[in-house]
Amino acid sequence: MDRETVSKVAKVARLKLTDAEIEQYAADLEDIIEAFAVLDEAPVVEEYDLGPIKVEDILREDVVCRDSDPAELREVMGTKDDWVRGPRLS
Amino acid sequence: MTTFPTADQLRSIDERHQVFCERLEDPLALDQGTFHFSAKDNLCSRGFQARAGSRILKGYRPPFDATPIRKLRESGGLLLGKTNMDEFGFGTFSTNSGFGVPRNPFDPERSCGGSSGGAAAAASLIPQHVALGVSTGGSISCPAAFCGVIGLTPTYGRVSRWGLIDYGNSLDKVGLLTRTARDLERYLPVISGPDPKDPTSLTQPVLDMRGEVETVAVPDEALVGLSPEVAASFREALKELERNGVKVREVKMPSLRYAIPAYYILATSEASTNLARYCGMRFGAMNQEFDQGFNDFFAQTRSEDFGPEAKRRILLGTFSRMVGFRNRYYMKALQVRQLIIREYRRVFDSCDAVLTPTMPFVAPRFDEIARMRPLEMYQADFLTVPPNLAGMPHLSLPCGYSHGMPVGMQAVTPQWTEGSLVGLARFWEEEFHYRFPEVMV
Repeated sequence: MDRETVSKVAKVARLKLTDAEIEQYAADLEDIIEAFAVLDEAPVVEEYDLGPIKVEDILREDVVCRDSDPAELREVMGTKDDWVRGPRLS
Repeated sequence: MTTFPTADQLRSIDERHQVFCERLEDPLALDQGTFHFSAKDNLCSRGFQARAGSRILKGYRPPFDATPIRKLRESGGLLLGKTNMDEFGFGTFSTNSGFGVPRNPFDPERSCGGSSGGAAAAASLIPQHVALGVSTGGSISCPAAFCGVIGLTPTYGRVSRWGLIDYGNSLDKVGLLTRTARDLERYLPVISGPDPKDPTSLTQPVLDMRGEVETVAVPDEALVGLSPEVAASFREALKELERNGVKVREVKMPSLRYAIPAYYILATSEASTNLARYCGMRFGAMNQEFDQGFNDFFAQTRSEDFGPEAKRRILLGTFSRMVGFRNRYYMKALQVRQLIIREYRRVFDSCDAVLTPTMPFVAPRFDEIARMRPLEMYQADFLTVPPNLAGMPHLSLPCGYSHGMPVGMQAVTPQWTEGSLVGLARFWEEEFHYRFPEVMV
């Protein structure tokens, strides 16, 4: 994997990497991806799923309840005057 | 000969350890028929931080208990503390934590294994202790083997994942690390069962704690690349099983060669999406530089507080899911998972369990780990990844000692048959004498 690909992937993943990190990850990922090419030899399987067991959509009833104490959640989020603080939108 | 630190030396390490010892020795706790347990740091609980070994979650104190912790507490369990781990579970040696490195109770120059390294150390050091661990690709089996304890990873979906800080949602499983089969018998039924808060737990059949292992299959592919001491201990364990009437069969499982790439692609793909939530705004490490734009604000916290292995796995997972690579890597990995499930099922037609060593070598020294390339570390998981990929329950048991270091063997049984593994653990501890470091009383 070349440096340019690593930089592109890092941008998608919202990671700012130093030049040294880009260099290192390019080498590591090249090594890894090359070894993983063995997957090309694996037989094609027509029927497969996203997980190892069958999962059915069993949903909970809609019941109005208080799951967590809002005051506790505000404390975890470090709110100011009960507002969650974040960066500028632009 | 290894010298172990005395109880007094351990107590002096730091204040947190002092608190830990006081809790452990609290006469009220044990005299009233309760028990003590610990939880891997990626399980949320009241009263403790949940950092999952990551600086990005430093200071996060969840206002709720993960379901397995709630159930153990409701059964009279005293949560002693949280155990160290590789950041978000990303590692084989517990050397990727943002908060120090746990040391192997048999030799402090060696790794506990990972990623539930702290859990295995706790189970090994503290008599009658039950440690909650989590496995995604072998994170219970590996440290159990390196620290000489029993590690049970249940079927995917057997134990609720509610309150677990996700690594790979289709792979994560909460399990137990302990010294005795009796603890598995006691605590697996407590933590198991359907939980409306985790839909993947809802289709499970009732837990049946009966079962035994009479015939084991040993795949040829699992005997390649072992260190001589692990190969010798495993051969000896097979002989011991045969002496006790267990039938041993050699089988071939050619699909196992695809397990490592398939696992690392699925696990990192899921991890890279799960880790998108850490943005420095809602919990854990809080970015205070609100003048930045969104992307810079997020990228700053993530770049500063994720460790090197977390970044490596985010990059690999993001790459695997990108347009142009998705079919070649991610979709193929899903197919391989199905292939491996089918292969296990074929073997289970004529055998009760698949048996292999747990890890290809005994716990390595930290200087040896420092010289390993990332790919080599990933490849060290080639025996623990297949059952994890297939969602099959598995158990690591101590099966030998080489120069004082424990060797583990791993049994895999069909989905939902944890009872057979517990039966095997019960049978094996009658035949084989386990050793534990004598540190605490």
